[in-house]
Amino acid sequence: MVRLRQDPMPLMLALLLATAGASLVIGKVWLPPVMLFDGLAAPKPNLAWVIVTELRIPRTVLALMVGATLGLGGAVLQGLLRNPLAEPGLLGVSGGAALGAVIAIYFGLAARFALATPLLGIAGALVAGALTFLFGRSGTLTLILAGSAVSGLAAAGLALALNFAPSPYAAYEITTWLLGSVAEKEWRQIALCTPFVLAGWLCLAATPHGLDALTLGEAQAESLGVNLNRLRVLALAGVAFSVGAATAMAGAIGFVGLVAPHLVRPFVGYRPSRILLPSAVFGALLLLVTDIAIRVIPTSTELKLGVLTSLIGTPFFFWLVLRLRRMSP
Amino acid sequence: MTTPRKNELSLKAASVCRRLACLPLMCLLLPACAGPATGTEGLPSDGASSGALPAPVAVRKPTRIMSMMLCNDVLLLMMVPRDRIASITYLAHDAVEALLPGADTGVAVNHGTAEEILLQKPDLILAGTDSAPMARKLAKAVGARVVEVGAANSFADIRRVVRQVGMAVGEPGQAHALLAEMDRKLAWLASHQPARPLRVVAWSGSQAVPGKGTLTNEIIAASGADNIAARLPDSRYGSFGLEELLAARPDAILQGETRWSGPSLQDAQSMHPLIERYWRGRRIGYPDAAYACGLPQSADAAIALRNLYRELPVGRPRW
Repeated sequence: MVRLRQDPMPLMLALLLATAGASLVIGKVWLPPVMLFDGLAAPKPNLAWVIVTELRIPRTVLALMVGATLGLGGAVLQGLLRNPLAEPGLLGVSGGAALGAVIAIYFGLAARFALATPLLGIAGALVAGALTFLFGRSGTLTLILAGSAVSGLAAAGLALALNFAPSPYAAYEITTWLLGSVAEKEWRQIALCTPFVLAGWLCLAATPHGLDALTLGEAQAESLGVNLNRLRVLALAGVAFSVGAATAMAGAIGFVGLVAPHLVRPFVGYRPSRILLPSAVFGALLLLVTDIAIRVIPTSTELKLGVLTSLIGTPFFFWLVLRLRRMSP
Repeated sequence: MTTPRKNELSLKAASVCRRLACLPLMCLLLPACAGPATGTEGLPSDGASSGALPAPVAVRKPTRIMSMMLCNDVLLLMMVPRDRIASITYLAHDAVEALLPGADTGVAVNHGTAEEILLQKPDLILAGTDSAPMARKLAKAVGARVVEVGAANSFADIRRVVRQVGMAVGEPGQAHALLAEMDRKLAWLASHQPARPLRVVAWSGSQAVPGKGTLTNEIIAASGADNIAARLPDSRYGSFGLEELLAARPDAILQGETRWSGPSLQDAQSMHPLIERYWRGRRIGYPDAAYACGLPQSADAAIALRNLYRELPVGRPRW
């Protein structure tokens, strides 16, 4: 087991900062740094200024926000459910958000009102979260099962929307949206989702103490004074708000929430409370690096973020499985 | 609610869809149902067929023609009286309303199913590339001839396809007249080129933008403008992000208008505040129907574009 004595946080934060800087410079249109700085100093608006402030900064902010949300949500759920396969989508929240957003696309609300997609996405996440809680509040296992049922319901709804898509074009749009992207979002869309994401983070931030106690088992945690129901509500609400809003903005982005906690765990130890923050930072880093890769990889049709995270995430996962196999007796 | 090139995109969507294994869905999207066509009025004319030569009286003109592709539907309605049409596709109505209003009144429709071929017993099936294999299989059973008509992505293609359909339906004279009218319009456009070609792009959100080898590109070129997406490296439909759009700074952005009632996400993307801010008054709407199929009317679409260019503000968009 690799266990670095040094705290990886400073390194990760430095990397995050550098990557965020690179994210402002790298894009489909290559603007030499000199031109960028000239543009920022020159009378506004000009090309460089518009591209950086209206496209690249929102894109970077969104990638950081979504990545951190997925990393944090994954870490909390893996702690809460004591299951290494837990990820933010497990409780049906991502599915609910995607269904809400797809309904907005399907009925054309998105075109009449640009904020309809994120709004309905958030509403979908909250409804899905509430359903999961309603059916699964009595225990960890029932929570997972209820989450699977809600995910299944959302998937059926998505399939129905594709089935009845008013034209192949609409089906194409829905499919493309589901692949996930943080590109070309408007500031006001980001502003709409931010409060929900922050509210979710706050709920999740209240869970570490309970998660640590839970590693001893449910009965032991309760005997230590942890209110398990409250813990579940906090985690579920936190995931519903933050992951729901993130999915509503950026579509379904897989694997980040699953992989980020696993990848930081060897470096920070196995206490759930110590994993949350590094996992969030690593999730943000992972998503931002992936998003930069999308801009650099020359493809004639835009490669979607969710596609690349899955492509990159899967080998990591194989590595994880192999490592577990080596470690197990 | 404008959506540029929705139909053209939907062709791409269709191919994506196929790749996504919704082949059965696409098969359903092909044509026809039921019932002999009624009505014996002459074919509607949009003016393009004026001066048509009297059609040579063929010995055996097909009398129950079934069209299984949207673009063939329109050609068929232009060339053949309605009483000789067994059915057109159910997708045709919007395009017909845009190009030949009222021409499909009373014409039966099909949904491209095998059963409809058997029920309607056509003597000629005008199939598209996708529907041809199925049509061939069943043609023997009903004694029909199958003519496979490819997609038309250029004016040369249009000439080929119109002649092919004209021959197939026994109306080569009609085809000749339609093409003569189209070529007259194209010649007029070519002889009245603007001094400075405008730089335009058919952009509707950062997904597929029609570049080289597309009908949209041909229409833009015929209108005397320069399609900046034609310089995209390797594909007919590349993506062209907002960043690239800003950097290329086209004089105008073409955005298709559809009669399709459901607006879509694409519309929301094409209304990004940056587009609104910097291309106000420089967004040109065009009827999607005229760009979805290569037809003699594609020349009218180019003329319409040319006329719209005159309304653009002078100079390039300013930041």
